[in-house]
Amino acid sequence: MAAVVSVEGLRKRYRRRDPHAVDGVTFELQPGQAFGLLGPNGSGKTSVVKMIAGLLRPDEGKISLFGSEPGNPAARAQLGFSPEDPDFPKFLRANEVLDYFASLLGLSTEERKRRIPETLAFAGLDQEKRQVRQYSKGMKQRLGIAQAILGRPKLLILDEPTADLDPLGRRDVRALIESLKASGVAVLLNSHLLSEVELVCDTVAILGKGRVLKEGRMAEVVPEGRTLEDVFVELVEASAPAKGDHLPSFITDKDTP
Amino acid sequence: MNGTLAVARYTLIELSRRRILLVLTVIGALGIAAIGGAFKIAASVNPASISFGGGPGSGPIDPAKLDRVNEIEFVIQLIGVIGFFAVLIAFAIGMTAIYHDLESGAAVGIFSKPVSRLAFTAGKILAAVAAMVVIVGLLSLETRLVMALFGGGLEGAMWVETVAAVANGVLVMLIVLALSTWMNNIIAAVVAFVYNVVIATVVVSLHNSLVAGFLGDNAFLNGAVNVAYWLVPHHLMSDAQRQLAQAEGELFAAAGSGGPTPADFVNGVAGASDLQDIIWWAFLVVLMAALVYLAVRRRQV
Repeated sequence: MAAVVSVEGLRKRYRRRDPHAVDGVTFELQPGQAFGLLGPNGSGKTSVVKMIAGLLRPDEGKISLFGSEPGNPAARAQLGFSPEDPDFPKFLRANEVLDYFASLLGLSTEERKRRIPETLAFAGLDQEKRQVRQYSKGMKQRLGIAQAILGRPKLLILDEPTADLDPLGRRDVRALIESLKASGVAVLLNSHLLSEVELVCDTVAILGKGRVLKEGRMAEVVPEGRTLEDVFVELVEASAPAKGDHLPSFITDKDTP
Repeated sequence: MNGTLAVARYTLIELSRRRILLVLTVIGALGIAAIGGAFKIAASVNPASISFGGGPGSGPIDPAKLDRVNEIEFVIQLIGVIGFFAVLIAFAIGMTAIYHDLESGAAVGIFSKPVSRLAFTAGKILAAVAAMVVIVGLLSLETRLVMALFGGGLEGAMWVETVAAVANGVLVMLIVLALSTWMNNIIAAVVAFVYNVVIATVVVSLHNSLVAGFLGDNAFLNGAVNVAYWLVPHHLMSDAQRQLAQAEGELFAAAGSGGPTPADFVNGVAGASDLQDIIWWAFLVVLMAALVYLAVRRRQV
């Protein structure tokens, strides 16, 4: 089966004097597979998914998105991307944002009439009449997920999709991922919520300082009797210099008033 | 094409909801009405206070010619208001149309969809130009109404000036759009103002003086002014200013004071833009649009 997305030897740095944000990342994603991309803050997760979505240009390496380059608009027709901290044209309303994005996806008027209300209802924004600038972070996150699924993508990239969601929203996102997987959609999930990743992903890659520290099927990465969090902390701490006491002295010092 | 139209449509909706544009349009409309009203009231109370006829020792002034001068001057004031607000509106649109999408993160969602950066840029420019045409067109219609109410004059020049105001506004807007994709939008507006308004006005004035022979025959100075002239935008204009100068000259000549002739009045006053100026404007528009596209294309979000 042809991979939905394949990434090979990806490298990226933002300024010449900086270390690589992404340093030789390689992985593949098959249809119907849920892939968890994990790592501490600044490990390069968001850079990787933005390169796949054609938003950043890699310095080195190859990305194949549905057999084409991500810079090719046609390749992005089957991609749904929900960014971390999503934002939208702020004077538009939720239904207008979806109609705008549906137009960019080339959906017919009939399809838009059918999909937009259903997608808004799924996101819990069907009654919302305010403009996006008045939305909370959680509402923007919901709209971000709504616009990502609007085109019925074959690859859904979710970058920290549940960071600003309440528990009910998180449950809905988990159900969405399960349902999409079952229908053959590949899901690439970036998340700090390891318990969530453990629940929905078949395969994971743990990044540290832009490199893949470990990758494989969930059962291979997480041995019997351990959790994904145990493995994650062990790998990340082993790849980073010891930080010593984590708390500031003024917190731990008992004599200071 | 669909992508361009979708971007243009929703950019126009966004622009229509921005308070700054609404405020500028309302102030412009009020300004046109106020200037028209004030000028006509002053002219009817004491025509000589508005114009300059009837000084000591001069002959009698033909009232019809004085009316003509007043009418032309009145129209030129209105044209000035349209031009001024067209530039303000151009700044307001140029500072927001693309910059906010790129800086807020809205571009992340848009660029992950199957739309090319070229289609996005074309849609943004299309919407910005359409907004300019609509707003300046409305102000121009109001001006025509004010002119009709107060007697009129220079209607032909008025339409040319409206087109010129839109054209000049489009160029300013593209300069701000192009700069704001590379730098902060406030800095972009300041740089565009200095280049397009301050430097261009000084250089074009110097060039007009050069053409009228006021700068002497210093070869270095003439060469420098000529080179500088082709580095700045030439604001497009009708021949309304020259018509005013001509009418004023005729008024003086009719008064028989033996002073300057009508030709002296016209000499040195810039006339309507010629084909060269229009081609230069078109070149700068294409250049700025290309710069906007290049900036959007290379932008990583």
